[in-house]
Amino acid sequence: MPVLFLMVPLCGIFLLNLPKRSIAAKFASWLVGLICVLLGVLAATSQMACWKPFNEAFVLPFSDLLSVDWFSAVMLFTIAMVTTAANAVGFDGEDRKKVLARSLLLICLTGMNGIVMVRDLMSVYVFLEITAVSCFVLIAIDQKIEALGGAFKYYILSGVATFAILIANAFVFMNVGSLQFADIQAALADAAAGDGALDLKISLVLFVIGLCVKAGVAPFHGWLPDAHASAPSAVSVLLSGVVIKVAGAYLILRLANEVFVEQPAARLALMVLGAFSIAVGAFGAIAQHDMKRVLAFSSVSQMGYIVLAAGLGSTLALMGAVVHIVNHAMFKSLLFVNAAAVKEQTGTTELDELGGLTERMPMTGWTSVVGLLSAAGLPPTSGFWSKLLIIMALFMADRWVFAIIALGMSIVTLGYLLMLQRNVFFGKLHAGLEELREARKSLTITALALATLTSVVGLAFPVLFYLLSQMGYV
Amino acid sequence: MSEWMILLPILVPAAGAGVVFLLPKQLTAIQQAVAMLTAAAGLAITILLFGRELTFTKNWVGFGIYFDLRLYSFSAMILIVAAFAFLTVLYASVYMKDRGFSRSFYGFVLLATSFVSGAMLANNLVLMLFFWEGLLGILFALVYTGGREASQTAIKALVINGCADLCLILGVCITGWQAATFTMDQISLPLMNYWTTFGFVMMMIGAIGKAGSMPFHSWIPDAATDTNAAFMAFLPAALDKILGIYFLARMTLDLFVVIPGSKMSHTMMIIGCITIIFAVLMALIQKDYRKLLGYHAVSQVGYMILGIGTALTVGIVGGLFHMVNNALYKGCLFFTAGSVEMQTGTTDLKVLGGLGRKMPVTFAGFMVAALSITGVPPFNGFFSKELIFDAALQSNVIYFVIAAAGAFCTAASFLKLGHTVYFGEAPRNLRDTREAPWPILVPIVVLAFACALFGAYNVLPLQYLIEPILGERLHHTYSGLPHSWLLPAISAVILVLAVLNHRYGVKKSGKPVGAVDHIHHARPLRSLYDYAEAGSFDPYKGVSSMLESLAIILMGIDRLIDWVYTGFATGIATLVADGIGRVHIGKHWMYVLWTLAGAVVVIAIVFGIGG
Repeated sequence: MPVLFLMVPLCGIFLLNLPKRSIAAKFASWLVGLICVLLGVLAATSQMACWKPFNEAFVLPFSDLLSVDWFSAVMLFTIAMVTTAANAVGFDGEDRKKVLARSLLLICLTGMNGIVMVRDLMSVYVFLEITAVSCFVLIAIDQKIEALGGAFKYYILSGVATFAILIANAFVFMNVGSLQFADIQAALADAAAGDGALDLKISLVLFVIGLCVKAGVAPFHGWLPDAHASAPSAVSVLLSGVVIKVAGAYLILRLANEVFVEQPAARLALMVLGAFSIAVGAFGAIAQHDMKRVLAFSSVSQMGYIVLAAGLGSTLALMGAVVHIVNHAMFKSLLFVNAAAVKEQTGTTELDELGGLTERMPMTGWTSVVGLLSAAGLPPTSGFWSKLLIIMALFMADRWVFAIIALGMSIVTLGYLLMLQRNVFFGKLHAGLEELREARKSLTITALALATLTSVVGLAFPVLFYLLSQMGYV
Repeated sequence: MSEWMILLPILVPAAGAGVVFLLPKQLTAIQQAVAMLTAAAGLAITILLFGRELTFTKNWVGFGIYFDLRLYSFSAMILIVAAFAFLTVLYASVYMKDRGFSRSFYGFVLLATSFVSGAMLANNLVLMLFFWEGLLGILFALVYTGGREASQTAIKALVINGCADLCLILGVCITGWQAATFTMDQISLPLMNYWTTFGFVMMMIGAIGKAGSMPFHSWIPDAATDTNAAFMAFLPAALDKILGIYFLARMTLDLFVVIPGSKMSHTMMIIGCITIIFAVLMALIQKDYRKLLGYHAVSQVGYMILGIGTALTVGIVGGLFHMVNNALYKGCLFFTAGSVEMQTGTTDLKVLGGLGRKMPVTFAGFMVAALSITGVPPFNGFFSKELIFDAALQSNVIYFVIAAAGAFCTAASFLKLGHTVYFGEAPRNLRDTREAPWPILVPIVVLAFACALFGAYNVLPLQYLIEPILGERLHHTYSGLPHSWLLPAISAVILVLAVLNHRYGVKKSGKPVGAVDHIHHARPLRSLYDYAEAGSFDPYKGVSSMLESLAIILMGIDRLIDWVYTGFATGIATLVADGIGRVHIGKHWMYVLWTLAGAVVVIAIVFGIGG
């Protein structure tokens, strides 16, 4: 069954690139949407008993197991959800570009699905590269100067990350003789935990650096605001919504808690970086003058929360981190979808040229308010729970300095989100926008669906959580 | 009675709100009917539940967080919330007619009722936090949809309450951590160590922030003018005051062991006193009906905090009684303000006059409520204020003096208000003013009657509603007449002084609206007033200008870096024709450098601690 998550998107790519491009272009969005929904349903049901007989190990060329546990299932679902949203935002341009972009979207989807299912470091590396390369091209697909610049920066810093992760893999392989998660963990447990070898430490440092670059955690975030803000709308949704989480946060969580367990120093490093990132992202966002850049900096800040919780590593913190990944995926894609709507209808995302849009674009405006509330961590939206869980976990673990930073920064978060809300959606309609109309259906429906999901998850979170724990997911 | 009954006060209004929101905009009459029925049903349920004890516990999030509701003597106060929701909906059915937004008003009032009930019934700190935080959004929506120009005020309310709520979250986390449980009736922390005190302070900030005391008050007077009277009557009775004071009392009584005369007790009393005196001084000089009431809404919270802050039984009883009374008379006053506004089209005191004969029922309601708030026997405000005075005097005479000074100013400002609006000759353009329709008058009359009843027969509220809350701490009842005659005598002197002052002021300025101008222009107070009017005491304004300058500074740094790299890059750009590189060559280098700097930090941590 897990192999479906790789094969279905790949088949999609073949279908898209059959001869007769005009037909492919016409049905491309439906095809990709169908694939995403299919994978989403598959992910949601993947832990049910009916899949058990088909859930056997599948061997990849580099002798790897693919498996879907509850964490993978959550991630697979999130990936499918955000890709659906990105697909709904769509691409403009001639047929060739449309087909190309959607093919790349499917490649990216394959890469991300791979990352969350594989259980060895080499395959992780391979799928990371698949994801990253498809993203470089996607960012620059419109061939605009800023986008090319953004893609270039992403490319350079991804290069650093690739370098770090490869070398780290080499060190681990030297030390353990295998790159399977289980083998590494066993070897580390045997090695009389504690006085750890030098090469292990080097590989830890390199993993932290590489994955933090991928996650866009400050001070490794340099590429993120430029790449996310300059990318085409659909790609922004994809990047901020899910790529940084799968390539960065997910791997950090997985490695820190299933592979390199019992490494207090590396955990502390993650927590320091997380707290720093929360602050840098939040303050950075205040100084921005462009809606998409504010949102991009906000991603830096929110990734900080996830990495902070990943570094702490208590059960409550891990729960908080996983839930925050899902929540952030929901509200950040929602906000980027709405940024796309704003861009399409007004031609700009500059804060100074916007204002009072709720009057003319009620759906966009009010769904954005839901997204902003969730980002600020106010109930009844889902963001409230994950932030609360993370902060509570920090207190429970006596890490009150980090807890106070995390909580204090949410004031700044509230500040920049209100700024965004006031400058874009509320207040007086900006001069020259009198003719403004609501965005097209596919955008508003996507936004509405995501906003509904955000509020429903927020209201029903404890119930969901309880059900999950009853079913043995947690 | 099934334990599920306890969910009804939460679910019924929420369901009603859902229906109201789903109905099409045009069906105003049906929305009204649904809202009215739901509010009535909610009231009936809470009456039915009154006096019972129920608990409802379900597994929720795990980690010690249960969906745990408890109905007992204290949380039975949801009765007041439900009653006010009903009166407000009734009032709004006429008042909101031409204002637009009526659907969202009904919906959010019902939703607020549901959430307040949830927060008061909650027996788990995190569950309470859930409802409490949810109210933040609802409050924002209520203010936002409350008036045409209210969006600024709404954002202000959201930010101020948001900051207070963050403190509350911190307080809840610390308290749960220290007590090792989130179940409220299992927590009883002595304020011994640094952490519990910190947790207490943080929670206290959350509670008084919700109640709208200084320095979290500045959105309330704004809301009083920018939103509508129905909302302003609903607000203290059923939303912020009741919840904030309820939680403050719950903290002092149950969650923490506060010793009378301890530092925390004094902190609360000082906050209470500052709130009383500053807000009432501001109220004194207002020239707008609603704004004047808005400042009084803040000032009265000061009395409640002062009473509860004493941590004495008499003070807590007084504080809670005052909260109930304030809900009644402040609701009534705002309703009269709305009635006057509806019939005359204005709330400006310089324009109003002589309405007593034109609007007799409104006038009678106003008189009863005004006599209550100024503390004239036998109305309810008198009894609760005397209890608070008693507690303040037992703690420290200074608190009593400030509270008494507050009482003087309250009396003076209501003399001015009543005299201006209802007495004298009606100005020419108000000659044809008529009495308001009955849905407006019913809430006014009901509340005025309740003010008189709760005063003359104070056994009813005290022995049935408030004193059971204190349980074993209570040694004798505080109902009936005050036990000593000294305090009422001082209060009487204060009232007489206020009347004399009013006569002097009217004579001096020649018109009732100027009755307190001599205080306004008294030398030491004048500059203080000027500062306050200019917003200098408004912390929200201070912070937003600070944030703005911070953003400017950060922007400056950003520009500086940008300039350095743009300048640097232009050197190379003469060699590279392509314009892409011009900005970015420098930049990705910078990012890589950042990465290297980060790497150094990571290495330092990993090797520094592990090695």
